[in-house]
Amino acid sequence: MKRPRIAVFKFTSCDGCQLSILNLEDELLDLIGLFQLAYFREAADRPLRGHLDIALVEGSISTERQRNHAMEVREKTRYLVTIGACATSGGLQALRNWSSVEDYKKSVYPSPGMIETLPCSTPISDHVYVDYELWGCPVSSDALSETLSSFLLDKRPGMPGYSLCMECKGKGIPCLLVARAEPCLGPVTRAGCGVLCPSLERPCYGCFGPKEGANIDSLLNVLRKAGLSHHDCALLLDKMNTYAYRKARTGEGSA
Amino acid sequence: MKRLFKVDYLSRVEGETGITAEIRDGEVTVCAGVFEAPRFFEAFLRGRHYTDIADFTARICGICPVAYQMSAVHAIESIFGVEVEEPIRELRRLLYCGEWIESHALHIYLLQGPDFYGAESAWSKREYLPMAKIGLYFKKLGNRILTLLGGRPIHPVSVKVGGFSKLPEKKVLLSILPDLKRAYEESRGEIDRAAHLPFQDHTMDMECVSLYDQREYPMNYGNVISNRGINTPMAGFLEMTRESQVGHSTALHSKKWKDGRESPYLVGPISRVNLNDEKLPAEITTTMKRCGITLPIMNTRMGIIARSIELSYALHEAMRIIQTYDNSAKPSVDFKPAAGEAAWITEAPRGMLIHRYELDDAGYVKHCTLIPPTSQNLAQMEIDLRDFIQNHISKPVEFLKKESEKIVRSYDPCISCSVHLVVLDGNKKGKPIL
Repeated sequence: MKRPRIAVFKFTSCDGCQLSILNLEDELLDLIGLFQLAYFREAADRPLRGHLDIALVEGSISTERQRNHAMEVREKTRYLVTIGACATSGGLQALRNWSSVEDYKKSVYPSPGMIETLPCSTPISDHVYVDYELWGCPVSSDALSETLSSFLLDKRPGMPGYSLCMECKGKGIPCLLVARAEPCLGPVTRAGCGVLCPSLERPCYGCFGPKEGANIDSLLNVLRKAGLSHHDCALLLDKMNTYAYRKARTGEGSA
Repeated sequence: MKRLFKVDYLSRVEGETGITAEIRDGEVTVCAGVFEAPRFFEAFLRGRHYTDIADFTARICGICPVAYQMSAVHAIESIFGVEVEEPIRELRRLLYCGEWIESHALHIYLLQGPDFYGAESAWSKREYLPMAKIGLYFKKLGNRILTLLGGRPIHPVSVKVGGFSKLPEKKVLLSILPDLKRAYEESRGEIDRAAHLPFQDHTMDMECVSLYDQREYPMNYGNVISNRGINTPMAGFLEMTRESQVGHSTALHSKKWKDGRESPYLVGPISRVNLNDEKLPAEITTTMKRCGITLPIMNTRMGIIARSIELSYALHEAMRIIQTYDNSAKPSVDFKPAAGEAAWITEAPRGMLIHRYELDDAGYVKHCTLIPPTSQNLAQMEIDLRDFIQNHISKPVEFLKKESEKIVRSYDPCISCSVHLVVLDGNKKGKPIL
């Protein structure tokens, strides 16, 4: 069988999700043997040529050049898969979307005129059709290997769309929201991290973005009754998946 | 003006960077441009609560998130007057060891290593595969430490102001001790391998800067010292540096200013080893002597040697901390937020990471400054490239290009880090940032 051609692309991001690929460690060299790695700039010195079976895309779109590049990648690719919060929902840098990017430029750079950037940081799916989205900040290595092996087996990757609470209950962890009135985003957040934060006695802060059909206002009502201010409730959602949580809240398409 | 060459997008470095080399009036000028899209961290951190800072700044870099968490929590603790207990201090050091192991292994074996073997990647040549496997083996061990303490290797979740959200059980930490011991034994042989790689002779007279801590090899504490006489508390060092914007680069360059003149300096493993070798365990210094390593290292191509020494040190130090870990401590100490400002520096795998925050009395950010190691090294890197090209100007352009890429890689630049720097109200080029 001809090995499928795979490539890894980076837009605006911290490189953590690409690093999650290298963090597959034990499986990495085996996986590389099963695919033909056509392009992976962080790890290999080889220009991109020809068509791709899978493109793994990290990072959000925040410049004009990136927008064009995303379209080029789409044209070359059979299955486009976004990896992580930036590519899937615009990332932490999407906080600029609720502010003025011109003010941001002026406050960071002495010569703001030379900095080229779009006013908003947006997910790949705002620009081109995305076949599959992997959530997480960062994406989990397990989800990556599940997606890649599913491709080889010609099946759909099995990813949860339900809330973190489902996994948390399964682990028998006392509920931080109910028992301690801590501001936990578990009820509205997609499972997939392995219940990291509640296991370490801290409330979920939303790395995996909103679950399907999340009722965010209902959670915020509970938090406000527990004494959290309006302002702090808003800040709770405005993190790595701010764009997706805000969309989910206003019901603008399910995130 | 004649363009010599241009590299648009360097491979095997973290983030997006390029090199442009030109000849102007017979002089070579080099610009290592950063084309990573800006993310404006200092801008959106304003108005955020202090409890968000470690989580947010970690997202600047997927390779050294612990460094961001460490510089952040120590700076905030310094504002609040919080002193953590000894076991917490040690565990934070253990977490940092995990990151040094992971990051150094990545760079030595997967990013820079292939350059010495003429390979385009760590897996493209059969002869190099055993090296790639050794690298992944060390890297995995670093990631295991990070996961035991913080839940996951990238953007771990347990670090907070005052300590940790939860402490690991001693028996869990002890479970990785045999693996650490084996890896440490192997790592000393790896110092030997690194020392015998073929290096271009390129000794430079440069200012090496790092933290220096009376007690130990520096990570989270200490004064800033250099081989040219700097010896100052952390805040004093910030007053010596200035940042400037260079052309279209989205990274600001940081340079030392003294008597109205700017001068570049080097941070990172070479500087740390040069200035702190007396703090290394005797076994490692004996290995260094046996391999013919002489200090100070003044050739930036030899960063891989310094990184191999530190990889071995971090494994040794992780073992020590696990063996002596006292798990009777509370996960965190109590404190009250207070208004104030403070700067803190910790040693990221790539060198000093400077954070400075100003908080209001409820603990919200009024102002912050982040200066990553790569922007401190950019000026030195450009001089290095310029000297190399000037000395080899008669060689074919393709050779100059390839070698320049290798030089940049030898600095282990972290471009995602360097791209979003410094909020400066009304700052003008050349004016002090504070």
